[in-house]
Amino acid sequence: MFNSINKRKTAITIFAVVCLIIGSLCSATAVLAAPPSYNYNYWLETVAAPAAYQATTIVKGTHIGVGDFKDPSDLHVTEDQQIYIMDTGNNRVVVTDKNFKLIKVIDSFTNRGQEDHFNAPQGLFVSRNKHLYVADTGNNRIVHLDENGKLVQIVESPQTDLLSSTFVFQPARLVVDNAGRMYVMAIGVFDGFMEFNVDGTFTTFIGANRVYVDPIEYLWKMLSTREQRSQMVQFIPTEFTNLDIDPEGFIYAVNGDRWGDNIKKLNAQGSDILRRNGYFRPGGDINYWNQDGPPRLIDIDVTDSEMYSVLDSKRGRIFTYNGDGFLLYIFGGMGNRVGEFNTPIAIERVDDDFLVLDKALGEITVFKTTEYGRVLNEAVRSYYRGDEQRSAEMFRQAANMNANLEYAYDGIGKSLLRQGEYKEAVEYFRQAMDRTSYSKAYVLYRKEVLRDVFPAIMTGLVIVIAAYVFGKRIMKTRRRKKVVPFE
Amino acid sequence: MNKEELFKFPFYLTLHPYKAFWELKYERNQRTSLWISFAILAVLGFTMILQSQYTGFLVNYNDPRELNSFMEIVYVVVPVLVFSIANWSLTTLMDGEGKFVEIFISTCYSLIPLILINLPLILISNFISLDEASFYYFFTGVAMAWTLYLIFVGNMTVQQFTPSKTVITLFLTVVAMGFMAFLSLLFFSLVQQIVSFIYTIYQEITIRY
Repeated sequence: MFNSINKRKTAITIFAVVCLIIGSLCSATAVLAAPPSYNYNYWLETVAAPAAYQATTIVKGTHIGVGDFKDPSDLHVTEDQQIYIMDTGNNRVVVTDKNFKLIKVIDSFTNRGQEDHFNAPQGLFVSRNKHLYVADTGNNRIVHLDENGKLVQIVESPQTDLLSSTFVFQPARLVVDNAGRMYVMAIGVFDGFMEFNVDGTFTTFIGANRVYVDPIEYLWKMLSTREQRSQMVQFIPTEFTNLDIDPEGFIYAVNGDRWGDNIKKLNAQGSDILRRNGYFRPGGDINYWNQDGPPRLIDIDVTDSEMYSVLDSKRGRIFTYNGDGFLLYIFGGMGNRVGEFNTPIAIERVDDDFLVLDKALGEITVFKTTEYGRVLNEAVRSYYRGDEQRSAEMFRQAANMNANLEYAYDGIGKSLLRQGEYKEAVEYFRQAMDRTSYSKAYVLYRKEVLRDVFPAIMTGLVIVIAAYVFGKRIMKTRRRKKVVPFE
Repeated sequence: MNKEELFKFPFYLTLHPYKAFWELKYERNQRTSLWISFAILAVLGFTMILQSQYTGFLVNYNDPRELNSFMEIVYVVVPVLVFSIANWSLTTLMDGEGKFVEIFISTCYSLIPLILINLPLILISNFISLDEASFYYFFTGVAMAWTLYLIFVGNMTVQQFTPSKTVITLFLTVVAMGFMAFLSLLFFSLVQQIVSFIYTIYQEITIRY
């Protein structure tokens, strides 16, 4: 008896130890794995999705050979895949190729015969002819250097009636369009972006955000006296947090708006022309805990085929949308593992790879596409090009890899619609929950069916009417015949 | 009363409400009318189930995973009952002549247009495009308006009110329905509290001894 209990005890101990070992192994592998990837479906639910991007490497300043970055704040990638890193704390611009091999470091330039330096510059932009524009925040100016690092011009604080006399010009981010006009996001400016001409003269503000009025705040303001009111917070539009420009010269901007649309595509007039035809409006996470609040978008990057990505600094996630406003994939997160960030500040694309710059850690995380990401990117691109056949094939593959991706069915349906396969298109649009396209395909399908069936229906109708009329006449004559003998 | 008459009368009522509601109150057998009322409610519940399940994709915004036939029936029966009770409680205080059964019957008969229009619409909605969807919404609106009109006439006849008094009582009925919903919510949450309180005491005692 005692023996058997003892035996059982040893068995249990061994079992427990084995369990512990297996458990620790399991948790060890779990630590290495990336956070679960997800997306949102038509019903606005969080659903599982394969990872479209995976973190592969982390690049620090020491790897490039320029010493650690200090509070870097901006990135830019040129068309020939050179990476410009704005190393704010070290007052310099580091230029590398796409494999992070150092090309040059720009930390000074010659200004009127004297050496001049940056002071805490926050933003940079490289134009198509490789001119470098630096938002030299601490020096209250924009520095424009040519491709050889020679000074072209310095844009100082503009003299205009549109700005108050106490205004301090602190440019933070900027973009330059193909004509050389500068669009500058400056700290403390609520009227939109500042537009500068090629020669550096200030022209106008564009794209101001709308003012959001908190109803409760408004009520208090109504009830209080003029003196109290003057002490209260003013209703002012939210500031932009970042901007990018696409090859056609449209400005993509993100702002810190909690309620309105926090992504905007501005045309030359400054009006918002972003298409929002997806299942929900673009703007980061749609499901979140109330105490954490809505996403705070801090950077936007637009690439080819109207695809754009935004970076949420609150949860460290990158959201990529296509031109119609459908959410394609989400990756990233906050944490200490590879592929997670501490203080993400900027994103850029090199080819299809993503670079995410972390300000406090001073490092760049490189994300590369997975099979799924490649398929999805190619599907969106070929659809944008108008290559229906290829896009349908790619969307089919994407749907095979992710049954939760309703947008893929939409892509398949659209290509079927263009090929004239209306019946199948109708089915795919129903899967995609796309009512507009469904209706379009359905009308064509209905017409097709009716065209086939119409002659048959008409023949049938004519026969029925003829039979009715004929039958009535026969009945009449028969009745008359029956009646006659009795008379 | 012959069978054909029995079947025809509800349809006759939709088109000649004044005459028919009068007949319903004073001339027809109340027991038969009550059975017909139950039948109308049943058919309406069935229509609602069909509607949520089979309405065409373009105008059907229901999540198919959350359809519940039982709840659809509840959504028909409970409002009718609550309306009848609220209306009855009010009109007894306001010198109405209607009994509860009469109010219930007239309310049920008033729902016929919802069946008459919505049932064919389910079929038609499967063959429309987005442009034609406005017709669909128009007809559902017509069904609703027609029903409201019948409820108005029915209530007026049953209670022997003037039109303006009927409008006021109907408005007050809606308010009373809100009160009833609030009270029942309060009641259920209190019952829940009591149940959890008793359960906690039971747990306390069983764990201690």
